[in-house]
Amino acid sequence: MSETHEGVHRHPAPTGFIRKYIFSIDHKVIGIQYIMLALAAVVVGMLMSLLMRLQLSWPGTDWPILGTLFPTGAPNGVMNPEFYLSLVTMHGTIMVFFVLTTAPQGGFGNYFLPIQIGAEDMAFPYLNMLSFWVTLVGFIVILMAIFVEGNQGIGEWFATLGPSFAGGSGTVGPIGGWTGYAPLSALGKIAGPGQGGGMNLWIISIAIFCVGSLLGALNFITTLLNMRTKGMTLMRMPLTCWAWFTTAVLALLSFPVLLGGGILLLLDRVANTSFFIPGGLYVSGLLSGSNPNFPLHTGGSPILWQHLFWFFGHPEVYIAILPGMGATSHILATFARKPVFGYRAMVFAIFAIGLLGFFVWGHHMFISGMSPYSAIAFSVLTLSIGVPSAVKTFNWLGTLWGGRIRFTTAMLFALGFVSLFVAGGITGLILGQSSLDLPMHDTYIVTAHFHLVMGVASIFGMFAATYFWFPKMFGRFMSESLGRIHFWITFAGVYAIFMPMHVMGLMGMPRRFSQFTEYNFLVNSSGLVKLVTVAAIITIAVQFVFYFNVFWSMFKGERAGENPWEATTLEWNTPSPPPHDNFAGVLPVVHHGPYEFAVPGAPRDYVMQTDVDVEVPSGNGHNGKH
Amino acid sequence: MSDHGAHVDEHFSGSNKLFISIWVWLLILTLLEIFLAYRPMDLFFMLTILLGLSLIKAALIMAYFMHLKFERLSLILTLIPALVVCILLLFVFFPDSFRSLGLRYQYKEAPALAPAPVEDH
Amino acid sequence: MSTEARVGTFPAVDWEGGAFPYRVGHRKLGMWLFIISDSLTFSALLIGYSYLRASNVWPTPFPFYPSIVFSSVMTFCLLSSSLTMVFGVSASSKGEKAKARKWILATIIFGVAFIVLHLIEWQHLMHEGLGPFYLPEHWVQAFSENGVPPSPLFGATFFAITGLHMFHVATGAIYLLVVALRINKLNHEDVEISGLYWHFVDLVWMFVFPLIYIMSVDIGGRLAAVAH
Repeated sequence: MSETHEGVHRHPAPTGFIRKYIFSIDHKVIGIQYIMLALAAVVVGMLMSLLMRLQLSWPGTDWPILGTLFPTGAPNGVMNPEFYLSLVTMHGTIMVFFVLTTAPQGGFGNYFLPIQIGAEDMAFPYLNMLSFWVTLVGFIVILMAIFVEGNQGIGEWFATLGPSFAGGSGTVGPIGGWTGYAPLSALGKIAGPGQGGGMNLWIISIAIFCVGSLLGALNFITTLLNMRTKGMTLMRMPLTCWAWFTTAVLALLSFPVLLGGGILLLLDRVANTSFFIPGGLYVSGLLSGSNPNFPLHTGGSPILWQHLFWFFGHPEVYIAILPGMGATSHILATFARKPVFGYRAMVFAIFAIGLLGFFVWGHHMFISGMSPYSAIAFSVLTLSIGVPSAVKTFNWLGTLWGGRIRFTTAMLFALGFVSLFVAGGITGLILGQSSLDLPMHDTYIVTAHFHLVMGVASIFGMFAATYFWFPKMFGRFMSESLGRIHFWITFAGVYAIFMPMHVMGLMGMPRRFSQFTEYNFLVNSSGLVKLVTVAAIITIAVQFVFYFNVFWSMFKGERAGENPWEATTLEWNTPSPPPHDNFAGVLPVVHHGPYEFAVPGAPRDYVMQTDVDVEVPSGNGHNGKH
Repeated sequence: MSDHGAHVDEHFSGSNKLFISIWVWLLILTLLEIFLAYRPMDLFFMLTILLGLSLIKAALIMAYFMHLKFERLSLILTLIPALVVCILLLFVFFPDSFRSLGLRYQYKEAPALAPAPVEDH
Repeated sequence: MSTEARVGTFPAVDWEGGAFPYRVGHRKLGMWLFIISDSLTFSALLIGYSYLRASNVWPTPFPFYPSIVFSSVMTFCLLSSSLTMVFGVSASSKGEKAKARKWILATIIFGVAFIVLHLIEWQHLMHEGLGPFYLPEHWVQAFSENGVPPSPLFGATFFAITGLHMFHVATGAIYLLVVALRINKLNHEDVEISGLYWHFVDLVWMFVFPLIYIMSVDIGGRLAAVAH
């Protein structure tokens, strides 16, 4: 039994296919659109990583399809180093921006934040729709970057926009790493293949993405602050909401700095300025200023770009992981049938991670030549982020301890998140020490670290969220057996892929090298490299089980009711899928916290947030903290 | 789109006299800045004073013209500290700037600085 | 075991859901958040400019006339436009729509005056030989230190920062024009929100003016000393 109050009639339900599914202002549809975008982008990213693995394991091999598609970048099917580097760049950019920053926040956040706080939609529905379409335009532009560089004809046509837009160098997009370090990224076509029009489009795509994210962030913050339903105090919000809120604050404050830096970088390329280009550069046989083809560049600072980029870049990686943490807390509590251990501490930990995340960007720059005194400060602060992260980890374990665990697929992925976050996080503590980072920077240890935390833990968070919320979104269950296959093979697979990379890194294997055959000290690494590749192939293959599961279950899955998991939060109070205005015109009233499981004296082992006739004793048996 | 429970501010705090006096102060501070521009003084000192004056002007605009002084304290505390902290963090870039002054590449002969025609960039 | 926080831990009843905690509607809160984020974009550019300036030989070429005079008049225009905007919002709060429209139009006129003066100043500087990646010859002569020429980043940073600001002024003028024309259909909050954006534009100028103009005043008359 739950109490409700009258909602305000905002928008009538849309009719017609276009208003319902294409240009929709319904946050649920927009959320699914973001998830679909991420699902498409991740395929592109995975394909690129597969090509990279093939090159690393069997360098010099001719891959027939490549030769036909990219005759310049992979002549006779053998990948150029530049081709490989463009794969590195585009894999990173697409995965970090269009997968990890869209699905957790824009996808699941958009869908479930309004419902979990008891609102009918986001604060700015039209702005929400605009954010998605702007992000989609950004994705199209980055795909264009691939073709402008990869295809001779298109690249030449692009030169009509301006000399700095010429492409056609045969690589799979621009080269520069997802970090786009200056001066390489700022010099323009003279710097070599992959530095033409594709690079311009890369910057433009990211700038467009910044705008989309900023609009989304202010929507999230306004919605969460202003539109919580009656009784939903901040400390009764599910941890997913806290995560989405903190992520939005991080996005609001960090994306503008990237936008500023991106404007300057684009000016360097298009308007001949030298914001990031120092004097005395000798590029492609020309000294800066000595030749009309290479005008004088002087006075700029590559480190300035690094500072501006990483000031954004570090909060960005927390933007990628925090929603996963929120979802994990939520799912662990639900399937352990226990409240989240130390809810208040979890909230403060999310805040602390978000806040400290702004202070530590320099740990990406320990070998850049930046002031070593700043490095001391950055190092100490980086290590201190370990504290709230550890608080969260121990609280997850505390949530599980003594619970009556239900091993659904969502739960398995949430447990996998905890495991992978610890595995990846520990190397973060090592890399965060500036002295230790000196030999480790730009080796595979860094690659292992960030893939484990960002690339895998974050994705596991999204998988867990998918399996958990799919019944609510589509009114049908995903197949549990296919889910288990997906989980176990992926879980084993990602460990098999990324654990050996630590060993490779300790051997001294550098990042962003297309092959290691010339180095004596890496002669023994080829076995490990091939192992990683085989594991990668298997893991990528099993993702198609997931895709099949998702799309097949949407239409043929077993029907699900309103609250199939016996969970407590507001989204389980609505039909599956929810109606257009989420609560059929009658907003819920909240009486309890979000994780009231196993309450003594309650009729069931869970008390929903809206339940009226249940006494939940407060301050009972949890550290006396509340 | 109506925001349910929207509180329309019927009593717009601040009289016209107050606004005009703020405007006069802003002009006075601007004239002070222009006056200071022509006083010879140490660069760093000048910069500090100018930034201080700018902060005062910004605070006046935010408090009175943008009405922030009359909003709830919680709004001020939500918005302003975050912005201030982020801007102060950006100042951490400067040690690298000061150090690079001495690291600049010195041309033996300065190449021509006139605009070079860019055919094939 | 319960996770429920004690009700009443937060002082204001507005935080308990079903109300606006800041007593501010969605759109105003959204505009404030946008202002915070846009402030950071400008901060990044201004800090970048300061960074580059601190590490390079930098010209200080602005003569009193026309540069400082123009920019001071521009500052006056923006400050006055803020005043007229405040009057407009005040009139709107009393429901005096016609009066509010007049004040907003006055604001737009000051804004347009700003843009026109700014463009004239740009044109003058470009005519003198300043560009995004080059300085006029006489500036190089006047401001070299120990044989090191002044940095052409002066032009780059000048045009980038003032250009972005001008873009914001222009966008604001268009926004205000739409508000002024549709004022009868809008409620007071919408007028107030447009005012917030306009004041933000003025606020940015409060930092751009001293950092770019005042700090580049030609104090010792070094430019005049070089025959050109």
